[in-house]
Amino acid sequence: MSANPRTIIIGLDGVPFGMLKAFADAGVMPCTRAIIRDGFFTPMQSSIPEVSSVAWPSIITGHNPGQHGIFGFVDMIPDSYKFRFPNFKDLKAEPFWNLCSGQAVIVNVPSTYPVRPMNGVHISGFVSIDFEKSVYPQSLLLELRKLDYRLDVDARKAHTAMDEFLQDVDKSLTARIKAHQFLWDNYDWQVFMLVFTGTDRLMHFLWDAYEDPAHKHHDFFLDHFKKIDQAIAEITAKLTAPDSLIILSDHGFEKLEKEVYVNHLLASEGFLAFEQGAEPKPVNMASATKAFALDPARLYINQKGKFQAGSVSEADKSACLADLEQLFSSLEIDGRKVIKHIYRKQDIYAGPHLNSAPDLVLLADTGFNLKGAMTSKQLAAKGPFTGKHTYPDAFLLVNNKDLTADLSENPCVTDAGKLIKSCVS
Amino acid sequence: MDSNLSHLDKLENQSIFIIREAYSQFRDVAMLWSIGKDSTALLWLVRKAFFGKMPFPVVHIDTTYKFKEIYDFRDKYTKEWDLSLIVAKNEEALGENMGPTKGKFQCCNELKTVALKQAIAKHGFKALYLGIRRDEHGIRAKERVFSPRDEDFEWDYKNQPPELWDQYKTKAAEEEHIRVHPLLGWREIDVWEYVQREKIPAVNLYFARNSKRYRSIGCATCCSPVDSEADTIDKIVEELKTSRISERSGRAQDKEDDYMMQKLRSLGYM
Ligand SMILES: [Zn+2]
Repeated sequence: MSANPRTIIIGLDGVPFGMLKAFADAGVMPCTRAIIRDGFFTPMQSSIPEVSSVAWPSIITGHNPGQHGIFGFVDMIPDSYKFRFPNFKDLKAEPFWNLCSGQAVIVNVPSTYPVRPMNGVHISGFVSIDFEKSVYPQSLLLELRKLDYRLDVDARKAHTAMDEFLQDVDKSLTARIKAHQFLWDNYDWQVFMLVFTGTDRLMHFLWDAYEDPAHKHHDFFLDHFKKIDQAIAEITAKLTAPDSLIILSDHGFEKLEKEVYVNHLLASEGFLAFEQGAEPKPVNMASATKAFALDPARLYINQKGKFQAGSVSEADKSACLADLEQLFSSLEIDGRKVIKHIYRKQDIYAGPHLNSAPDLVLLADTGFNLKGAMTSKQLAAKGPFTGKHTYPDAFLLVNNKDLTADLSENPCVTDAGKLIKSCVS
Repeated sequence: MDSNLSHLDKLENQSIFIIREAYSQFRDVAMLWSIGKDSTALLWLVRKAFFGKMPFPVVHIDTTYKFKEIYDFRDKYTKEWDLSLIVAKNEEALGENMGPTKGKFQCCNELKTVALKQAIAKHGFKALYLGIRRDEHGIRAKERVFSPRDEDFEWDYKNQPPELWDQYKTKAAEEEHIRVHPLLGWREIDVWEYVQREKIPAVNLYFARNSKRYRSIGCATCCSPVDSEADTIDKIVEELKTSRISERSGRAQDKEDDYMMQKLRSLGYM
C-alpha cells in the first residue's frame, strides 16, 4: 500500500443531518459518534432539485448542474417531446477520479452508469441496468458475482412484498460491504469511494418505521444503520494518521404527508393540455401547452425555438414565468402553503449548459412531495411512500478539521465536491 | 491481402480466418443461430471455413415467442445442412409464465441471457460464435468483445496484435466463455450483398408483403415491420443503398429505457 495520504469517501444516500446525529447520540452508530466528536460535522445543502441524480454528479465533479449538465433522472428531447434518461455519458464535467494521480476505487455512486475505462475500479450505482456495463475492469465480474454483488435493490418488491424487499436491502448491504473489503485489500488505491444507497430506499418506504419504535420494521431500520456503522468502524481501524475520511449524504429526508402533482395543477390552470382523447404523456401534449413539469418539480416553458412545437414566444416568456410563480406561490393544500421556494434557472445554475436547465424549479414546504407524473387525476394524494427528500439537511462529516478551513459557512454538495477534489489532486 | 479482391472477398477472408483460428484454439465451441440473416450468413461462412461441414453445434435460443416462419426455417435448414442443433430454453422462467408483458427487459434477460447461460453451463462451451456487427445499433451491440478494447469496449480488428489468441485464452480462464465475432466489421448492406452473391436462403419475413417488411427479426412480440416495397434480395440491396432509416428502428430499442422507467417508477418517479 502506498505511503501517500489516502482519501476515503463514504456516501450515505439521503441520510439527513438530524438522523445521523440522533443515531450517533443514541449509540446506534458509536463509531460515527467518535468521528463526529473529533472531526467536523455540518448540515449541507443538496442540489436543486434535491435528487440523487443531480446531487451525486455535483459531489463527484465539484460543479453545479449548469456545468455538469445533469438536471434530473429524466430529460425531454426538444425535437420529439420524448423522455430520455441522462446517464454517465451525459456528464459534462470530469469526475474527481480522473484528476487523481493514483488509482481510484469507486463503488455504487448513483448516476455513473455506464462505466468507462479509468485508472482503478468503477462499479456504477443507481440506475445501473446491465451488469457488464456497470463494472470496470470486466475481469472483476466473476469475483463480484461470487460475492453475490447486487447493483441495486428491487424497489418494486417494497410495493408488494415488504419482507422480501427488506431481505434484498440487507443482502445488498452485505454484498456491498464484502465487495469493498475485497477491493480495499486487492488494489493499491489512493482514493476509495463507497456509497450506501439502501438508506434512501428504506427512508422512502419506511420513514414511519424510523419514527415509530413500535413499528414492526423499526429494528430492521436501526440494524441497517448499525451495520453501516460497523463498516465505517472497520474502515477507520485501517486508516493511518494522514488519511482523510469524508462521510456525506446527497440530500436529506423527512416524513411525507402528501404527494403533490405539479402537472395536474398546470393542466387545471390551462398551462398544460393534451391532444383530445390522448393519454396524458409528453408526446401527446397539445400545441397550446405553455409549460410542463418533469420530476420532481422542474418547470419548462414550452418555448418557440427551443421545443419543436413551442408555443410561447421569447417576448411572452417573462409574463408566463411570472404567472407560474404567482400560481405556485399561492398554492395551498389543507390550509398550508405547498411551495417554499421558486427558483429561476439563472439564480441557481451557471455554466455552459444553462440552456438545457429547467426555467423554474420548485422546492416544497415541509411534508409535501412534488411530483412530475402527468397521469395523476388528483392534485394531491397519499401514496405508498412515507418519506421524501429534503434540500437543506444533507450532512458532511470530515475526520480532519483542517481540511474544512476553506469551506463556506452553509456548504452545499458542490462545495463538498470541491473539498474532495482538493484532497485527491 | 490481394488488392484485386472485392470488398466482399476481403470480408469473407477475414471472417473465415477468425472462424478457423478460434476453432483451433478453443475446440469446445458452438455458434448462436438466431435464424436471422446475420447469423445465417455466419453459419454459411463457418460451413465454408470447414469445407461444407459444421464441426460444432448450433445453438438456437428459443424464447417461444419467435415468429412461426423462424421455426419453419430453422427446422428446414437444420435438416438440409445436417446441423447439430441445440435449442436453449429457460424452462423454469417459461413455467412461471415469463413473457414480454412482465417487462421487455426482464423477458429478454430471462428468456435469452439466462437461457444462454444455462446452455453454456450444460455443454461446457469455451467459446461462442456470434453474428453481431459493429454497425448494429442498440442493446446487442454492447456484447462483451475482445480486448484490447477501445473506449466503447469495441473490438478493433485491425489493431489486434498477432498473439491475440493467447490473450483470449487468458481471458477465458477467468471468465466463463469467450465470444467470437467474425462479422464484427460487416455492415448491414455487406451482409445482404453477400446473401445475394452466395444465394444464402433468408426467412421470408425480410421480404415485403403488403408494403411492409422486417429489417431485423426476433420475437414476434418485440418486432415491427418497416414500410418497404422490397420483396426480393436485389430490391433489399437497392433499398439499403438509398435508405437512411436505422436497421433496428422497427425493433424495441427501448429495452434499457423501459427498465429505467420501471426502476424510477418503483421509487415514485415518472
Ligand atoms: Zn431517494
